[in-house]
Amino acid sequence: MAVPPTIPTSFVPHPGGSEARRATTDLTGAFGFFTYFVFAIIVLSAFAVFGYDRLLAAQQKSKDEQLAAAEAQLDLATVNGIVRLRDRLASGQTLLNKHVALSNFFHALEKALPQNMRLSQMHISMDSNGKVMLTATGNAKSFNTLAQASDAFAADMRIKDVIFSDITVTASNSVSFALTATLDPELIAFAPATPAVEEADITTP
Amino acid sequence: MRSRVLPVLALLLSVLIFFSYTKSVYEESVAKHKEAIAADLRALAAAEDYAARSGELVAAQNAMDQDALGRLLKMLPDSVNNVRSILDLDGLAARTGVAISSIDVSRESAAQATEDGASAQSPVGSVELSLSGKGTYAAFQKFLQGIETSQRLLDITDLTIIGSDTGVYTYQMTARLYWLR
Repeated sequence: MAVPPTIPTSFVPHPGGSEARRATTDLTGAFGFFTYFVFAIIVLSAFAVFGYDRLLAAQQKSKDEQLAAAEAQLDLATVNGIVRLRDRLASGQTLLNKHVALSNFFHALEKALPQNMRLSQMHISMDSNGKVMLTATGNAKSFNTLAQASDAFAADMRIKDVIFSDITVTASNSVSFALTATLDPELIAFAPATPAVEEADITTP
Repeated sequence: MRSRVLPVLALLLSVLIFFSYTKSVYEESVAKHKEAIAADLRALAAAEDYAARSGELVAAQNAMDQDALGRLLKMLPDSVNNVRSILDLDGLAARTGVAISSIDVSRESAAQATEDGASAQSPVGSVELSLSGKGTYAAFQKFLQGIETSQRLLDITDLTIIGSDTGVYTYQMTARLYWLR
């Protein structure tokens, strides 16, 4: 017998509709598991970072204390004394290498000047570059004496650029002159072998 | 409905925790602590080397001839003390026969140039003394050699000698003395 179309069909669900709902439930569960897993990892990592940060802070504090103790043990006065000694040694060496001893020049001058020649005025000056200039005026008994002195200066290579000028014959037939020259720095350099007439006695306590 | 909301909230919370705390703490605070610890370790190593080197230098200083160090201190003292030097020069002149007529401090010299020309950093100060006097040439030679061999380092930078018929000459000189600043 045919069922009239006004009578509703069976209420029993279709088997295919039940499978789709189960699949949706499984996907929801997987997503939930994934998100809870990520959440757990994130929370654990947050605690780990917090602990690591505290550990590093403690280590830093410990190292800071060790450093402060090490700094306190440094004796700055001793170190400053050593630095000054270094400066004194280095500067003393430099100054000694440039130490001036004009006695050497006077010894050389005594050898170069003839007996009958006389300097009436002499000026020695040193510029900031260490160049030593000599200017002098004097009298010689004759031209031959002046020539003799000129030859002696020429032979001594340490007294350079010797120029005699303002040469004038005086009433007494002597020769007056002016002299300019430069001195080799080695000629006035101090050497320990310099003969000392008197022991040094200039000190500062 | 509830089974879908909670996972989404958990995911959002995870993102929030990661970016608002974990990442910022790791990149800022942890990195700062690491950097500070590394700097402390470097400083500690340097302090250890410093202490060891200081000990070596003190031992080397103690091994030096103390008399030589004393002479070095007299040669280049810690202060200019030009008054003492003037007194010593006056005493030297009296012993050698030179009559000093005047001694004065000219001025503080320009800083001594070092080898590399860094004059501003030179630890040595200098001052110039100008003095004049009279005496024979022999007396002057003794005086000059006394200055040259003095324990306190003195360099004559300018000298004028004026002769006379009496054999007593007039001397004008400028001497530079040094000290360690």
